Amino acid sequence: MKLLTHNMLTSHVKGVTKGYPLLIKATEVKTNEVEFNPQFVSRMIPKLEWSALIQAAEELGHRQDLPGELVPDYEKDEEFLKRVHRVLLEVEVIEGFLQCPESGREFPITRGIPNMLLNEEEA
Amino acid sequence: MSSQEEGAADQDPNTEEPSSSSSSDNDVTTGDIITVTIGATVPTGFEHTAAEEVKEKIGVDARISKDRGRIYFPITTDKLFQVHLLRSVDNLFVVVEEYDHYQFKGSKEETLTELQQLASKLPWTNALEVWKLNRTLKKKKGYRKGGNGAKVKPNSVATNALVPDSELPQEISAAESQTKVESTPDVESCKHEAEEAAPQEMSAAESQTKVESTPDVESCTHQAEEAAPQAKVIKFRVTCNRAGDKHSFSSNEAARDFGGAVQEFFQWKADMTKFDIEVLLNIHNVEVVIGIALTEESLHRRNISHFGPTTLRSTLCYGMLRLCKPQVSDVILDPMCGTGAIPLEGAIEFNSSFYIAGDNYDMAVNRTVNNICHIQKRRVDKGSPSGLPIDTVRWDLCNLPMRTSSVDIIITDMPFGKRMGSRKKNWDLYPSCLREMARVCRPGTGKAVLLTQDKKCFSKAISRMGGLWRKLHTVWVNVGGLHAGVYLLKRTGAVFGQTPEDVYESRGTVNTQGDEKDVKELF
Repeated sequence: MKLLTHNMLTSHVKGVTKGYPLLIKATEVKTNEVEFNPQFVSRMIPKLEWSALIQAAEELGHRQDLPGELVPDYEKDEEFLKRVHRVLLEVEVIEGFLQCPESGREFPITRGIPNMLLNEEEA
Repeated sequence: MSSQEEGAADQDPNTEEPSSSSSSDNDVTTGDIITVTIGATVPTGFEHTAAEEVKEKIGVDARISKDRGRIYFPITTDKLFQVHLLRSVDNLFVVVEEYDHYQFKGSKEETLTELQQLASKLPWTNALEVWKLNRTLKKKKGYRKGGNGAKVKPNSVATNALVPDSELPQEISAAESQTKVESTPDVESCKHEAEEAAPQEMSAAESQTKVESTPDVESCTHQAEEAAPQAKVIKFRVTCNRAGDKHSFSSNEAARDFGGAVQEFFQWKADMTKFDIEVLLNIHNVEVVIGIALTEESLHRRNISHFGPTTLRSTLCYGMLRLCKPQVSDVILDPMCGTGAIPLEGAIEFNSSFYIAGDNYDMAVNRTVNNICHIQKRRVDKGSPSGLPIDTVRWDLCNLPMRTSSVDIIITDMPFGKRMGSRKKNWDLYPSCLREMARVCRPGTGKAVLLTQDKKCFSKAISRMGGLWRKLHTVWVNVGGLHAGVYLLKRTGAVFGQTPEDVYESRGTVNTQGDEKDVKELF
């Protein structure tokens, strides 16, 4: 699971109103090289919940000194974009759990695949 | 990239193409660039997207045949390699001759006889040049197709008596001038060719059995590789596709008789399974096209190594992706991904977007991940960064664990009710998932490309969602023999949660009254 995906995932347990962002408890993390496309990164940033991304990166130990808030003109800062690229696409959680911040419900991650299926009672 | 062609064309200065070549317009000498027409078979319904891809990657206009599922375009031999970059084509062939209005004779006998006579009159030269050239390209790209069977063992080759090259042409064919083409000029220039060229005991029977299966002498990296096939009897087959109700003959009969004449003319050996050359005879009403295949196995399953019960052809996936025109940084979701064919094709071909593949079935998500890993390994082998912009999640598509309005495009193959799921289930499934997809899709700019065979159920479901989805375009396609539709939808600007459709709970039974009446009943 890449952090870009994590940024869009949310807990949908019945009754939960603050199911985002999911907490990450990783037991195995890998990095994988992905071709860098600066345009991709700069256009993706506005679609992200930035603080959730920073929090997740922090949880995995890959924050790389990224700022807690976006600095203006980041589109032109290639160094910055490269670091964001790394955090969004190159860091992957292979084994672990995602946890609903409100209900505490855990969603396992195996082979990089988070299992978000709910039981009948939870849906 | 033109170095690939040099291998075949330019390194044989001593040889000359026979000027008695029967193709009238082109003065072909090996090494010249010639223009030929290429035919491509594409998923029916996606002819226009394929033509678009040809325009984009090759820069020429393709014409769409009346024979559905085929497009034709011109190409110069120095650019031939480009055809292998096309992702929307299943199979490629080089046209030998085309007849727009072929006059078939009245009786079957006369028609078949005429077809036989045709074989010796066709302008084979250029097409065969392209066929040869194409083999070079494929070898250099490291293509290893299984179709041609066993490898040649160098030993078996060496045991055959060596025949001086000059004798080759006579050995090969009766009609010498025509067939010098395949007794390749390449042979003469190559120092090592004697060994590989060895099995020239052209007598039909014997040495064939040892070395015939593949001309690909894989151990030899010298240009002799190209020499090998032409140095011994070429094996071929004729494939005939016939459509139309006014023909007096069957495709089998045409293939048989035309094939017989081709064999007679070139002195090739017929072999239906292990062939070097596949001659295509396509007859669609009065349109007749004769071609030589450039692809050995259909390209359509290129990405998938782990199949599921309903895995889509990659060419169909590509066509669907082109329809939705992925932009840089688009988040593209396949909520019912099966084996991941669609998002994987996207991650490879439209790689400046990001793909999330999801399914509720554990075997499906596992196969998807296996397919992704397979591609990644291939990339590592080629020395490219292996990572792909794709992720896989296991989820229930009617209750997606995704933030509202976070997705730009939804693209998926919806259960058909025949190969997967059931018609009854679709009545419930389609409205629920269309609503959930509308929730996660970005209002105003979002799009969906949905493939389904259950057109009735789908249309009904969509017609009740006018507030959230608008139909832009439909492409009718053929999927495994089933007639299906690819629906291109636009997400309206309406915010989810405020239109009547998403307030209204989906009902199990279908109401045949007009939509407006249904909606009014709620308030």
